[in-house]
Amino acid sequence: MPSHVSTMRKVLPVLVCMVTLTGATALYAQDAGAPAPAAPPAAASEATTAPAAPALPKIDTGDTAWLLVSTALVLAMTAPGLALFYGGMVRSKNSLGTIMQSFIILCLISIQWVLWGYSLAFGPDKGHIIGGLEWLGLNGVGLEPNADYGATVPHQAFMIFQMMFAVITPALITGAFAERMKFSSFLVFTLLWATFIYDPLAHWVWAVGGWVRNLGALDFAGGTVVHISSGISALACAIVLRQRLGYGREHMSPHNLPMTVLGASLLWFGWFGFNAGSAVASGALATSAFVVTNTATASAALAWMIAEWMYRGKPTVLGAASGAVAGLVAITPASGFVGPMSSIVIGLGAGVFCYLAVLWKSKFGYDDALDVVGIHGVGGIWGALATGLFASKAINAAGADGLFYGNPAQFGIQAMAVLISVVFAFTGTFIILKLVDGVMGLRVSEEEERMGLDLSQHDERAYS
Amino acid sequence: MVIDLKRNCKRNSKRQGTPGGMCLTIVAVMLGTLALFIGSVAMAQDAMAQAGASVATPLLKVDTGDTAWVLMSTALVLAMTMPGLALFYGGLVRSKNVLGTIMHSAIILCMVSLIWILFGYSLAFGPDKGGIIGGLEWIGLNGVGSEPHPTYGPTIPHQVFMLFQLMFAAITPALITGAFAERMRFSALLLFAALWSVVIYTPVAHWIWGGGWLGKMGALDFAGGAVVHISSGVSALICALVMGQRKGYGTEYMAPHNLPFTLLGTGLLWFGWFGFNAGSALGANGVAGSAFLATHTAAATAALAWMWMEWMHRGKPTVLGVASGAVAGLATVTPGAGFVGPFSAIVIGGFAGILCYFAVVWKGRMGYDDSLDVVGIHGVGGIFGILATGLFASKAINTAGADGLFFGNTAQFGIQAIMVAAVAIFSAVGTWIILRLVDAMVGLRVSPEDEATGLDLSQHNERAYS
Repeated sequence: MPSHVSTMRKVLPVLVCMVTLTGATALYAQDAGAPAPAAPPAAASEATTAPAAPALPKIDTGDTAWLLVSTALVLAMTAPGLALFYGGMVRSKNSLGTIMQSFIILCLISIQWVLWGYSLAFGPDKGHIIGGLEWLGLNGVGLEPNADYGATVPHQAFMIFQMMFAVITPALITGAFAERMKFSSFLVFTLLWATFIYDPLAHWVWAVGGWVRNLGALDFAGGTVVHISSGISALACAIVLRQRLGYGREHMSPHNLPMTVLGASLLWFGWFGFNAGSAVASGALATSAFVVTNTATASAALAWMIAEWMYRGKPTVLGAASGAVAGLVAITPASGFVGPMSSIVIGLGAGVFCYLAVLWKSKFGYDDALDVVGIHGVGGIWGALATGLFASKAINAAGADGLFYGNPAQFGIQAMAVLISVVFAFTGTFIILKLVDGVMGLRVSEEEERMGLDLSQHDERAYS
Repeated sequence: MVIDLKRNCKRNSKRQGTPGGMCLTIVAVMLGTLALFIGSVAMAQDAMAQAGASVATPLLKVDTGDTAWVLMSTALVLAMTMPGLALFYGGLVRSKNVLGTIMHSAIILCMVSLIWILFGYSLAFGPDKGGIIGGLEWIGLNGVGSEPHPTYGPTIPHQVFMLFQLMFAAITPALITGAFAERMRFSALLLFAALWSVVIYTPVAHWIWGGGWLGKMGALDFAGGAVVHISSGVSALICALVMGQRKGYGTEYMAPHNLPFTLLGTGLLWFGWFGFNAGSALGANGVAGSAFLATHTAAATAALAWMWMEWMHRGKPTVLGVASGAVAGLATVTPGAGFVGPFSAIVIGGFAGILCYFAVVWKGRMGYDDSLDVVGIHGVGGIFGILATGLFASKAINTAGADGLFFGNTAQFGIQAIMVAAVAIFSAVGTWIILRLVDAMVGLRVSPEDEATGLDLSQHNERAYS
């Protein structure tokens, strides 16, 4: 009984959060709804400009089709892709708990993004630091294209494409605290992290007026925003949550590797939407991003395999899958700026560096359970720096030349962007974790950890 | 440095008790990679220069809708190899071999991805040399940029076509792996797949699609009945014959370890095949719609036909049968997808289910151990599909195609038969030579103890399930 009561007490804050969300939704729903029926005033104001300026952005069906399908592809990266990738790597008693984390983040952030996340990240700039609240509840984010964010697609298409990025980023972190985080604390952490880390960072790097973007930093599809931020936050999580019970002594090998490979393949598949979709149009740039994404992935998986074969004596399947994901991570910021031959080199670097990072993890003693730091952190940093080396205006005129194309300054800018993301993500995550720990505790109890998250947090078994 | 590596390898192999030959292979693979790397750096500049230079021809315009569809189709075909085929095959083997089997598809995808952009695409689709092979002009994607190519998709960037074709090149050798499942040495697989894709796949693709002699003759193969399915199916037969049976074949219990996996793989193959066939229209247009419809119809019909045959012949309809039937229908309709109407697709699918079912049943009498039925499904399905295209093709469906025998053009059937013979003979002879070569270099089969242990532990030192 007492345990039930205490659980209830812990669930309460979550409930309160949810109610607040709902309340806010109800409020903003009307605001958002208002412009739609009351289109005349809005449309009228636009109509007055429309005939005057015939060059008003027009929706292109091909571009929109590609962006919509890319959005669906990125959704498939989180669930089922990441959910199965992580779900197969944990012990069977935690597989549902792990899958649930990705799945519920997909739900939670979808709502957060529509209510306030998108406005904070991409809304009208306030002092180069954060987006304004003008677009709360998608107020003013309609079907007309926004010239800054995809001139040929409905603004809402851009918004929902970005939503999938906001969703997968906190989901990536969950690999660091796998098998030991309390579900209610996890929900609160995710909501706070998305609001106070992801949204500002996305604004800095991608939004018009963001200060890192103004520096001239290149991040095509989220090397800093998605991978460095999640990878470094994962490091903070692994440090603050400490090791799993029995780490280093008990057998903790993956309970279902074919499931992990299935997840890795779906990540690869979905990543085409992630990178090639980031062109926000169908055509030459999307094509080039698609080509380098596939190439870097293949080369990273081969590099990891060879490194492991030489170092450990056998090439493992988990290694090839991890290598592929490392390659995908590393090419992400560069995908719209580099050519196919450069992507081979970026992939090779990713395979080798991330393999070494994962190998050396044990020397540092932190328990990054599913190697988020080694793959997303290290891969993301390598990718962001490599963009400063290999970027070329011959590939994307809107980009910049990198060091190897005669512009050493770009490498400095990239290094600065890396440093900014690392410092911000680490301190921010550390503070949020301490806060949540103080209020409700981060870890499950020892008995619950031994029992596994499936039974202790969700009262169900994965396999019977 | 190389000598150093060899010494290290020897030391390692002594310590871990692995054969020294394995280590040498690793070195070979490494050297290959190094060569790739150097080549890439050398060619990087050319590619860049070309990308800048090729902006001058404004004749062909990129269509965003067509490009979106072919990009999506490329992603779909990737999903056929990984995770589709990997799980389809992975579920069919015993649990001690599941990772080894999945690894085959995964690593072939990675290797062929690099081979293709470095020189494979140039050999297959580069400027024609005597109808036999493409030239080396497009090595390292030199000259393959964002401008459309007049014959390879005039409304999409040339690189999209290249990438779409890459996925075909990747899945074809992956299909063969079903024939030697559960017994091939991993290092031998790497060598075999690399050689096969260069020596067999690229010429065959060139003959039919890259402006080679079969294409000039008027051979019709919409999405790869001959290039993909006959070549892989016939090569699979040679592999099964050369490799010999698995230990305990016919005496031990070798049932699939996870049929739901296989069904998930089948579902993903079906899903991805829409990209394979309808994407081969190279645009979002009427032919794509028609190919999509024919693909779906044939798959459904073949699954039902296989189920009926099995029900009548064996007494029970099996789930594995339905899955195999669907794949047989998909393989069979591939060459005809863009040339036949939906009712022809029903007939093609119906025969595919029946013929492939009997091919698989009769396998037992022939004695070769085609472990996961690549010959019965892709070989037989591919051959029948190419011939059926010569029967059912109609200009009413695709004006760029030709009429088949049933639409008054007997000659087309003859051309299709020549294509079957040419591709089958070339694949068989070529595969035999490659296998002999690889056997001499590293040995094809794992040792009997390793085979008994399973590929997962013996080749990769890991377990699928704990």
